[in-house]
Amino acid sequence: MFGDGMFGRLCLLVLAPLFLLAGARAANNIDLSTVPARDSVQLTIYNSEDLTLVRERRVSSFKKGSNQLQFSWANTLIDPTSVDIRFPGGGLDVSLVDTTFDHDRHQALIWNIRAEKDLAVQTEISYFTSGLTWSADYTVIANADESHAAIENFIRVTNHSGENYENAQVRVVVGSINLVEKIAQLANIPVHSVPLMEADARKQYRQKAVRGALDRARKEGVAEQAVLAASATPKAIIKEGLSEYFVYTIEGTETIPNGWSKRLRSFAAAEVPISVVYRYREREYGDQLMRLYLLRNDEKSKLGTTPLPNGQVGIFRVSADNGLSYLARQTIQYVPIGDRLELQLGTDADVSFELSILAAERDEIWLKMRKPNVFKRVGDGTVAVDHRARVAGWNERVTFARKVVNSTRRPIRLEVRRAFVGDAVFRSALELKRHDFQTVEFAVNIAPEETLELLYEVIFRRGRNEKQSRLHLEHGEVARPTRL
Amino acid sequence: MTSTRFWRQAALVLTLACVGFAGVASARIKLITLPVRERVEVRLEHEAATFVEEERIVPLLAGANQVDFSWANTRVDADSIVFRVLGEEDVRVLSVSYPPGEDALVWHVYAPKTSAARVRISYLLGGISKKYNYRALVSHDEKSLTLAQYVRVRNDANEAFTKAGLWLRPEQRIERQLGRAQTREILIERWREVPVVKTFSVGEAVYGWLDQPRQKLKVALHYLLKNDTASGLGTAPLPAGKARIFQDDGAGANAFLGEDWGRRTALGEEMRLFLGLSRDVVVERKVHKNERERIEGNLFDQHIILRYRVENFKNGSVRLYVEESLNSLKRSFVDNSPRLPQWAIGPQTNFQLTVDARRTSVDALVFYAQIPPAKDGKAEKTDLDLHLVLKNEW
Repeated sequence: MFGDGMFGRLCLLVLAPLFLLAGARAANNIDLSTVPARDSVQLTIYNSEDLTLVRERRVSSFKKGSNQLQFSWANTLIDPTSVDIRFPGGGLDVSLVDTTFDHDRHQALIWNIRAEKDLAVQTEISYFTSGLTWSADYTVIANADESHAAIENFIRVTNHSGENYENAQVRVVVGSINLVEKIAQLANIPVHSVPLMEADARKQYRQKAVRGALDRARKEGVAEQAVLAASATPKAIIKEGLSEYFVYTIEGTETIPNGWSKRLRSFAAAEVPISVVYRYREREYGDQLMRLYLLRNDEKSKLGTTPLPNGQVGIFRVSADNGLSYLARQTIQYVPIGDRLELQLGTDADVSFELSILAAERDEIWLKMRKPNVFKRVGDGTVAVDHRARVAGWNERVTFARKVVNSTRRPIRLEVRRAFVGDAVFRSALELKRHDFQTVEFAVNIAPEETLELLYEVIFRRGRNEKQSRLHLEHGEVARPTRL
Repeated sequence: MTSTRFWRQAALVLTLACVGFAGVASARIKLITLPVRERVEVRLEHEAATFVEEERIVPLLAGANQVDFSWANTRVDADSIVFRVLGEEDVRVLSVSYPPGEDALVWHVYAPKTSAARVRISYLLGGISKKYNYRALVSHDEKSLTLAQYVRVRNDANEAFTKAGLWLRPEQRIERQLGRAQTREILIERWREVPVVKTFSVGEAVYGWLDQPRQKLKVALHYLLKNDTASGLGTAPLPAGKARIFQDDGAGANAFLGEDWGRRTALGEEMRLFLGLSRDVVVERKVHKNERERIEGNLFDQHIILRYRVENFKNGSVRLYVEESLNSLKRSFVDNSPRLPQWAIGPQTNFQLTVDARRTSVDALVFYAQIPPAKDGKAEKTDLDLHLVLKNEW
């Protein structure tokens, strides 16, 4: 057995009473002990804090009177201060008297236990350990015409805790519990004082807060799954929503030896509708035309039963020979139920996208005369020419051309979002929409193998002509400038 | 053979062990079968990644099976591996285990009955790259060329692929063997009678001076070919690649003219191939006039006349392209302000110029003029005055 015998890392021993004298163990180097087997173990992995709550159950035999139970955890990442023991079903017949940490026995403790009679009782030991983590990942396979996709979500549990967990029930917590508030509540201090707490005290309260939250999850209905034998079908991962987080419980049990990872399918959805769009949004994707798959985490899209946890997404498309083409890989952030999911596929070499500034013209030029607060518009002729007057304000009319060449054999949808700082007017024959006070957006459809030039004009008000900071949208034809 | 030993020797290996999957860690030594690759597709369509998909027939026993996949000494991206079972809906992957310190994984596969399942395993593989190159053979009269497109696939992935399907575009598959530590150059397509235009181009900011004290500009030679159906091309964008250019010397042999890096050329766009510098067309560029015309206050227009004295020593007329950078002129004659140049062609321009609207912008003026050939072996000097006005500066 991994947990107890084979590797000898995490060990529970019932020490034979023959040699025991309470409080005088330091002199004894020869022990006789029995090793109660681990009956069940449950791991609740709380990723955001690198914290896993382990609950294991074993049946231990005690004789009437004083007994000693040694628990050791050599070469594991168990937090010794978190180790706890309970005797569910033991009633008043068995009780913990005290706990001894011998200075010459590192990574071990001894529970001194009093039994009212000879009995075998179930023992529940719980502790926090680090080194167990979980991650989510997704495989998205779009069909050949990119109208639908098959989506699979996996949960991968990795064990670097130093201990082998055999036939463990695994639960993973999605989302993050606000521990600061819980710690403040438990310590009876204001929230802003939590970061000032001493490290040990903070750790203690943090563990208490996590225990509390996870216990509540259990009480409030998160499924405690029965231990099942190895199933012939993929295991279900049961998701239960609670407050601001989800607990995923993997059906049955899993053996995860130290150093190993195990990946299980969490859900699969076929025929999820997707749409393809090309977007230019410098703030979000940089100065490039990004190709995206858009979908929604909702029931209509055959998803929406659970939030989608953070994770890496591998994106593929079915190709002509029913093979797969690799498109992209990206990390997504938590997607709540009902929210949109954007999968960035990168740029498309078959769609070129260029911006040219075709021309600039200045008008509405104002001069500041030598006299204070006297301005003259150039060309008005109302004030005598003053050679010492200085340009104080002007409008700059800039003509832009976006050239898009769709070399693919499919129509594409292009969405552009552009921000212009300052006081400006955006004019185009395109259908314009305001995104925010300084950002315009427009969209066009481009036929297969079509080249399109999108013309627009921006009039920037500069100097004293600039009255405010906003982009005004105007619908109007823009002509390509002629030079002759 | 134990799987452990095999992993040390081979690169990409799929093994099958009929063992219970509960004891993963204890089942590292086992009796295995080695399903061979039935086919392999190497997908090179992606700009930055090579994706391999291999198909194998895996014998499965009814119940739980363990399928090991290892990739020692190769650069398989473990996070990219996809396992698909074709046509057998009831065959399912129950879980995947990743042993520590090994380039390997173990699929736990359930089969309802004993059968042979056809599976596809896909993964990103580092070490395989592709490069395009072109060979252009220009006709003796320089009116057309034959363009051959090659792809060079280099395999440093430490894995051999026999009879692999190489995918260059989603619809373009070539079947070849791709040996370990091997580069293979493959002819993809050859286009004949592609119309080509030879151009002569000058531009102080773009091509620079040949002899600055004497104000002589470099005259760049290009061949232009258009990626459209009228040219016999236009089926797909032309990928970027090195182009070696040869010319039919009219005597049954080919002369090497030079080589250039051809940019990626979208449908309908032009590929410009630089050949070198011309010595038979000489262009001097002088600033003939530089005057400031005050409008009001400190506002002015700057008038610049650039005089190009052109001598064509060739027997035929040439089309001379001139490329001027307005920003460069503004910096030279006005100031370094970030204002965009507002410019116009002035009335003192003394020749018929044709603006290349596609390449002309706020910063660039590109035009061409036809230059007559030499007469009786003597080149005529042609003065082209270009009047530019940089407007509303201060």
